[in-house]
Amino acid sequence: MNESLEELQRLAGEYVLGTLPLAARLQVERRMQDEPLLRAEVDAWERRLLPLTALAAPVEPSPKLWPRIAGNLRPQAVTDAGGWRRWWGDLRLWRALAGLALAATLVLANMLLLRPDAAQPAYMVVLVSPQQRNAGYVVQASLNNQLTLTPLEGTPVPRQKSLQFWTKGKDWSKPESLGLVTPNQPLKVALGKLPQVEAGQLFEITLEPEAGSPTGRPTGPILYIGRAVKVM
Amino acid sequence: MPNAPDGFDYDAALHACAQGDQRALQRLYEQDGRHLLGVALRIVRRRDVAEDVLHDAFVSIWQKAASFDPQRGAARGWIFTVVRHQALNTLRSREREVYAEADTLDALQEDRTDTVAEQFELQASMGRLNDCLGHLDSAKRNSIVCAYVDGCSHSEIATRLNAPLGTVKAWLKRGLAALRECMG
Repeated sequence: MNESLEELQRLAGEYVLGTLPLAARLQVERRMQDEPLLRAEVDAWERRLLPLTALAAPVEPSPKLWPRIAGNLRPQAVTDAGGWRRWWGDLRLWRALAGLALAATLVLANMLLLRPDAAQPAYMVVLVSPQQRNAGYVVQASLNNQLTLTPLEGTPVPRQKSLQFWTKGKDWSKPESLGLVTPNQPLKVALGKLPQVEAGQLFEITLEPEAGSPTGRPTGPILYIGRAVKVM
Repeated sequence: MPNAPDGFDYDAALHACAQGDQRALQRLYEQDGRHLLGVALRIVRRRDVAEDVLHDAFVSIWQKAASFDPQRGAARGWIFTVVRHQALNTLRSREREVYAEADTLDALQEDRTDTVAEQFELQASMGRLNDCLGHLDSAKRNSIVCAYVDGCSHSEIATRLNAPLGTVKAWLKRGLAALRECMG
């Protein structure tokens, strides 16, 4: 496309202003992903015109709106701004699926070896990295509140940092620490006083200071995250 | 955008959202939900549609929190931007329906045509933008405010300001260029 800088600036301005038809709007949004110049022009127009939003009088949302929003939030690990099509074309998705297949094989093998427990329902969680979406760990939970954390890939840990393992049930007010994780080694955890694992329960591994999170809550970036799925 | 009240830490809230903390998103909602619904309602013009826009925008803010880049602008501005563009995309994709409801549209226009400029005068808090818009002639200024605040298309501005379509396009082109020059 042979487009002068002036045309680019005008396109950015009209995009932010809102006067472009839908097809042109969506085209600008697509181009912004790959064109830093267009993105910078759009950002500059957003900054210039933003004060105009003060002209809209506030309107109180209906009380039903927030619960509707909260009910439609997915855990961060499986969300993606790029949508399904980008997922589909993304090699990392296929790597993640390969990881999942491997994880499922490991779980099945374990189940066969642990037949005595087979009558009890169990849960499985595949912990996936939010950025690369590759499976990093598998968590298995049995009804007697024993967890096993099995690494699927090597996780490099910076000096003076530790990996910390967390879980949060649906109605819990905050995540509970399940302890520090030695990289590349399986870990067994007794859940102790924590409630029985439930479907959808969140598990994650974060990068924390060497001695673990100082606050009792996750403070560092999420390296792996996933939700419990009932497998038996 | 109304001034950020009481030192609310938008960057921290977005960061916590990226970490999976739903209550951080709720704090953002409680902080600015009514302002954001106001912005959306002006653009899509229907209460139920505006609430759908706010819903979709907050789900989107949640999903995109990790990719928010503070280098590209302030966190609060980004949130307003997400809601506004969600509203604009909704409005533009519903355009045929809106035309089918021409009666409603006419009624809205009668309400608003003369108020855009007055409202603008009421706002002294817009700083540099206020000064620069003040240097534009009223046709260009009203075109820009109508587009940005009320989501007016070219043809809607033409109807509201009773001007030919080509003239409106030229107003916007020159108005934006003048604003850009004035504000840097």
